[in-house]
Amino acid sequence: MFFETAKLAWRAISRNLLRSFLTVLGVVIGVAAVIAMVTVGNGTTAKVQAELSRLGTNTLFLRPGQWGPGRASTEAKRFNDKDVLAIQDQVTGLRAVAPLNRGTATVIAGGANHSSSVIGTTNDYLIAQDWDLALGRKFLSNEDRGSQAACIIGETVRKELFGSANPVGQNIRVSNVSCPVIGVLAVKGQSGLGDDQDDTVIMPLKLHQRRIGGTTTIGSIILSAQDGVATSKVQSDVESLLRERRRIAIGRPDDFSVNDMSQIAAAMTGTTVLLTGLLGAVAAVSLLVGGIGIMNIMLVSVTERTREIGIRLAIGALERQVLTQFLVEAVMLSIFGGVTGIVTGLALAFGVVSLLDVPFVASPTIILLAFAFSAAIGMVFGYFPARRAAQLNPIEALRHE
Amino acid sequence: MTSPLIEFQQVSKFYGHGEATIRALDRIDLTIHSGEFVSIMGPSGSGKSTAMNIIGGLDLPSSGEYVFQGIPTSVFDRAQLTLLRRHMLGFVFQGFNLLARTSAVENVELPLVYRGMDHKERRRRALIALEQVGLKGREGHTTQELSGGQQQRVAIARAIVTDPAVLLADEPTGNLDTRTSVEIMDLITRLNRENGITVIMVTHEEDIAAYGKRLLRFVDGHLASDQTQAKEPDHVL
Repeated sequence: MFFETAKLAWRAISRNLLRSFLTVLGVVIGVAAVIAMVTVGNGTTAKVQAELSRLGTNTLFLRPGQWGPGRASTEAKRFNDKDVLAIQDQVTGLRAVAPLNRGTATVIAGGANHSSSVIGTTNDYLIAQDWDLALGRKFLSNEDRGSQAACIIGETVRKELFGSANPVGQNIRVSNVSCPVIGVLAVKGQSGLGDDQDDTVIMPLKLHQRRIGGTTTIGSIILSAQDGVATSKVQSDVESLLRERRRIAIGRPDDFSVNDMSQIAAAMTGTTVLLTGLLGAVAAVSLLVGGIGIMNIMLVSVTERTREIGIRLAIGALERQVLTQFLVEAVMLSIFGGVTGIVTGLALAFGVVSLLDVPFVASPTIILLAFAFSAAIGMVFGYFPARRAAQLNPIEALRHE
Repeated sequence: MTSPLIEFQQVSKFYGHGEATIRALDRIDLTIHSGEFVSIMGPSGSGKSTAMNIIGGLDLPSSGEYVFQGIPTSVFDRAQLTLLRRHMLGFVFQGFNLLARTSAVENVELPLVYRGMDHKERRRRALIALEQVGLKGREGHTTQELSGGQQQRVAIARAIVTDPAVLLADEPTGNLDTRTSVEIMDLITRLNRENGITVIMVTHEEDIAAYGKRLLRFVDGHLASDQTQAKEPDHVL
């Protein structure tokens, strides 16, 4: 009997294929949007996680202020050279301690100019980031002290300013600092957040402070623990040292934060997950609109087929059977829409994901959910028209023309 | 004397309320026995269609009792009335009322679908019914591919495929030309005689009504006359 009903429903749908397709278009778009957004979101999350874990779990980030989702690092005292020295002297088990100041500046060489991120740091930064040089050398000690200008440039900067030529030994101007290129960084590609890590110029911290930042303070410090040293120990050592140095009373919260990669990863993926959820919610609204579209057409269909319903009722169809017939039709329609939407959404996500260079992570949960949801939409929005059909008066239905 | 198949006991049907009340049927008493061929005539608004609808379980009396095979139907709910139609009654309409874009055999199978009969048995019975109405070989034709007379034959096959106790025909020849009308009436007469199906037919044509063995005339909601017709129509073989 169910098979019979399904066959009837299929016939009613296929009788007017174009209209059936237009009817479910809303559901198709809704489901496709949900699937595409969630799939791309999952891919991005996976990429961020992979990226961050590649940076190593033995890396710690030290920033002024409390850092995390929803918390800004404003109004907290920045670090200084003495903090860096103190950490180097008093915390054991560290492989690298890299002070870090960031800025953006226009970089000029010859006739070409390019806006790039400019980092002021020490050689320890390259150690902490496991970043090799493709060409040239690292900073010498006199350069580190800031008495001599020197710059290491990323691959993107090299390409923009020098094309295929070897830049080592050439001069570039960063903001108003004239600076010889001493090395070129190995290609690193995009970061988990989609920015180009090779679009960077690295110079000694002192030079950066004096000529770019106009400051004597330090924005953040990257710490890298030696292999086999627990980051949690380093974390608590650094924390107590800094509390002491910053004179934070017992019971008061830190005015700085020490996070390892996993904590930062959690915060970042938290953001992507939230974003994915929001986009999913927007898409869910379009699904609702799709459901209303189905209800509308089912109501039209009931009116159009009043006579047919009258015949069925007259020759012995129970209300329940007519109700089931129309309900199955609506559910079948919306399931077709759902499946089409799932396929479209996955295809769309695949395209976007290849463009963004993000892994394709199809979530079976969300696919099943979208399928179940579209079936439920057919059920909910099909019920009212189906009930209307079932409760028609057969005499009037037969007279209807 | 056999017990009556259909019995109206003071059946009335009103439409509207208060001053505007229309009495479509006014305290009708009527008995129809199994195997009868009853023609019902009357001007429009006389109550003949209302009577047919009540007999067919499509409408309910406002007062009085409609007894079917000794069972008062006032105790039936909507579903039970549907089951009465499904198992006991076959309908033939003036407008044929076949499903469009559906083959003859599928149209005939429809009432059996609702009985939950399996596909093979359904098809077998539908083909027999189509053969009975002389449409062997046209099973696969869709409604649009059949002439009016053929469509009405399909409708009759659909009505008799369930082996109903009563065939209710509402102006079965109203949309047909004279020659086809005669063919359809011969078919109905034969089903009445040979298969013993009780036939109740509404018509407004005297010569069609003459096929019935009994003629009821309705006027203004009353049964104006009820006569047995001795004369056999000439066309019946």
